[in-house]
Amino acid sequence: MESYEPLPENRDPVVHLDRQFWIVTAVLAVLAALSILWWIWAPITSIMPEAVDKAQEIDALFRFLAASGSALFIFVCGYVLYFSLAFRRHAGTPENAVGIQIHDNNKLEFWWTVGPTVFVVLMAIFSIRIWYGIEIAPGNTLVVEAIGHQWYYTFRYPNVNGEVKEMHLPLGQPVTLHVTSGDVIHSFWIPDMRLKQDMVPGLINTMEFTPTRPGKYEIICTEFCGMFHGDMHSGTKENPAYVYIDQPAQYAAWYARMERQQANASNAITAPASNQLKLAGGDPQAGAKMFATKCSACHALGPFDQRIVGPGLKGVLYDPAHPQLVDGDQATPENVAKIIENGYKGSMGQMPNQTANALSNKDIVNLVAYLKTLR
Amino acid sequence: MAATAVHAGGGLADHIHPEPQGFVRKYVFSIDHKIIGIQYMITAFLFMILGGMLAELIRVQLMKASGGLMTPETYNEVYSIHGSTMVWLVIIPLLTGGFGNLIFPVQIGARDVAFPWLNMLSFWIFPVAGLMLYASFLMGAPTAGWTEYPPMSLQGQAGTSMWAAAIFLIGVSSTMTGINFLVTILKMRAPGMTYTRMPLFVWGQFVTAPLLMIATTALGAALAALFMQREFGVAFFDPARGGSPLLWQHMFWFYSHPAVYIMILPAFGMISEILPTFARKPIFGYKMIAFSSCAIAILGFMVWAHHMFTSGLAPALQVPFMVLTMLIAIPTGVKIFSWVATLWGGVIHMTTSMMFAIGFLATFTLGGITGVFLAAVPFDLHVHGTDFIVAHLHYVLVGGSLMGILAGLFYWYPKMTGRLMNETLGKWAFWLFFIGFNGTFLPMHWLGMWGMPRRVAMYDPQFQGWNQVASWFSFVMTAALILVLINALWSMRNGKRSGHNPWNARTLEWQIPSPMPYYNFKHVPSVFAAPYDFAEPLPYRGLEEELTGAPPPVPAAH
Repeated sequence: MESYEPLPENRDPVVHLDRQFWIVTAVLAVLAALSILWWIWAPITSIMPEAVDKAQEIDALFRFLAASGSALFIFVCGYVLYFSLAFRRHAGTPENAVGIQIHDNNKLEFWWTVGPTVFVVLMAIFSIRIWYGIEIAPGNTLVVEAIGHQWYYTFRYPNVNGEVKEMHLPLGQPVTLHVTSGDVIHSFWIPDMRLKQDMVPGLINTMEFTPTRPGKYEIICTEFCGMFHGDMHSGTKENPAYVYIDQPAQYAAWYARMERQQANASNAITAPASNQLKLAGGDPQAGAKMFATKCSACHALGPFDQRIVGPGLKGVLYDPAHPQLVDGDQATPENVAKIIENGYKGSMGQMPNQTANALSNKDIVNLVAYLKTLR
Repeated sequence: MAATAVHAGGGLADHIHPEPQGFVRKYVFSIDHKIIGIQYMITAFLFMILGGMLAELIRVQLMKASGGLMTPETYNEVYSIHGSTMVWLVIIPLLTGGFGNLIFPVQIGARDVAFPWLNMLSFWIFPVAGLMLYASFLMGAPTAGWTEYPPMSLQGQAGTSMWAAAIFLIGVSSTMTGINFLVTILKMRAPGMTYTRMPLFVWGQFVTAPLLMIATTALGAALAALFMQREFGVAFFDPARGGSPLLWQHMFWFYSHPAVYIMILPAFGMISEILPTFARKPIFGYKMIAFSSCAIAILGFMVWAHHMFTSGLAPALQVPFMVLTMLIAIPTGVKIFSWVATLWGGVIHMTTSMMFAIGFLATFTLGGITGVFLAAVPFDLHVHGTDFIVAHLHYVLVGGSLMGILAGLFYWYPKMTGRLMNETLGKWAFWLFFIGFNGTFLPMHWLGMWGMPRRVAMYDPQFQGWNQVASWFSFVMTAALILVLINALWSMRNGKRSGHNPWNARTLEWQIPSPMPYYNFKHVPSVFAAPYDFAEPLPYRGLEEELTGAPPPVPAAH
């Protein structure tokens, strides 16, 4: 059995595509074009309104993806179906009949590698441009914070003490939304905004957008967060999970009401307005909780050298090796409070101020009380 | 002297031992790769029945917006164990330990894998780990999904630690299988079986093996960390003590994204065998298919964070992960186009196996396309964590991997039993499965986009209609799978006798008797070409005695 002859390299027959193939191709091209037109025209907003500027861009990206994806799908499935039927073995075909013995076609393979590559590049450019707009904050934004809890959301507004249970946003005002969690990981999704960020304990995630359409929009949790995860959408009477996009005047009225209400609320502190907080009476336990959600992403509880972004804060008020704070002031509770309030920007890095961190005065008092306990 | 002669004559490949005779050595603690492969398959199909029952519990629960069948707690346990079962106890074992073990050593002309005893150990860890996973129901099963993100998994019931231990063991088994397969393919190919002559199913296993070896270690580390935090309070994932919940997500997906390719590359290999055989045509673009598998495997290690676009990844990291993920579309597209081109100009034998392979082309393509959608960060921000993800992952894992497995089952069943599965029942099963599958998972695309989150025991009533559609179709899909099971059991005794090569296939496993004899080959063959030239004589030498009554090889005397 020495009979095996090596096959010649270029042994493929020359192939001609017949008329039928081109007719099928034309039909598929028409179907693909129709599907592209459908996705350009599809009335997405009649099912899901676009509540913010970014939603329009994301929908445009979706139309592009869906149009190109469905065109590709029509071609692949169309050819699969056509070949399966056209080249099916007939009853009379001899048992040992074989197909056309072609192995490859460099030109064809070159084009069907280059084609998708070009498409991927286009898609990447399109996506990155939109992504850039979502990630990069425009100037002069309203900073709001959303906090996930099992199983409801609360919100913090600048100069409003404590947490409020409804989220209101003024139409046309750029918003920076910080999301975080008080317990486990939640997610903050507003389908009508097409935006979502996970609420991770110890981490502050950011969303940037400008509301463009007044209305009431549902917030939905999409990260499994325990027993009643499935109920963490429209919410309950006590904890409505809605975002209200108001006309600016309406919003201003609501905001003023919140400021008043929360100032009178029991957790508000009788703080002097002169940035001189009275540090007595802080609750170290509340401070510890606040530390875990607000500070621990950048500050460890270990000694000074255990840096994450900023230094470790163990014994910050008692460390003989570091008697001064980063701004050169003495490490006293009052000066620590000042840094939390004003933030810091300098050689060691950058720390957001009270507003950006959405901390109330009471929170700062609690945090300082907590830091005092770290010896 | 006889032993020396055998060793000197044929080298390692001719070093053989007598066939074990006792039932326990032959069928239970076997070191024969074919028996181990069948053991893997039987065990995995048993777990698939359990996982499928859990899936139906999920679909029944979701028929009503208010839930109703189960408490949220039980429901959470059910989908967590459903996912863990299907990934670790069904798809991965079937594709690697099952079909991999059974077929690829024969396809490269080897008599067994490189480390048969390790192979036995790999298998026996698997049912033990599987039982541990199900035993977690007794102590309160995990509830945070198959991904078990902390902090939820830290608060989970006692069974969560059991889950971690069970999956850790599965990981050990996978890693050993990976090493075993890689060494086998590197060192034990028959003379003349060069890399470009290997059947594409072998290429699938060849590329999967390093993924099993490298990626699974990251999973092991993650599980060990989870176990330590749960049981001993080590603060890996606790932000208040310097840990981070995102650490788990990075480690978990560093494994679980390559695992996606562990679950699809062998299925790609199966499709690449089945399409040319039934189209009576060489596979189109052999080298590009093999090369694109390598490209997918390498890129697969560089894209894990695309599962975390909403988790709070540094913005600077999102763009590279997005672009790298999109790049995977290119080699995947090349494969799909090559398969479609393989059908052109063929003489297509429309067997059940071929129908599943063609069905795979349609459903996997859809899953691949939605995968590219999800790579685009802005779109992912909208649908992450919703039913859209559920739809996408089932299109690739059921419409891809499971379709491939079913095609492979009908194709290679004769090599296990010497009989064919029933074609009429098989075709009914295909159509029911294809319709049931698409009806179940297609609506989840728009459900997710409209606002239906995943992993919920109750949901907004506006989504109830489409959820009921999905549930009814899921019953059709289950019926199809029961039909396949009945077919496989019935055909074991009543199927038509297949002979050694019922499909006129050209790879080596079809040139030896069915069921395959102990030690596979009487003489290790020589190989002269890739196995896809249907118009040419077989490219092998030394197979003349395989189908004759010639005596089996003489075992080495020890």
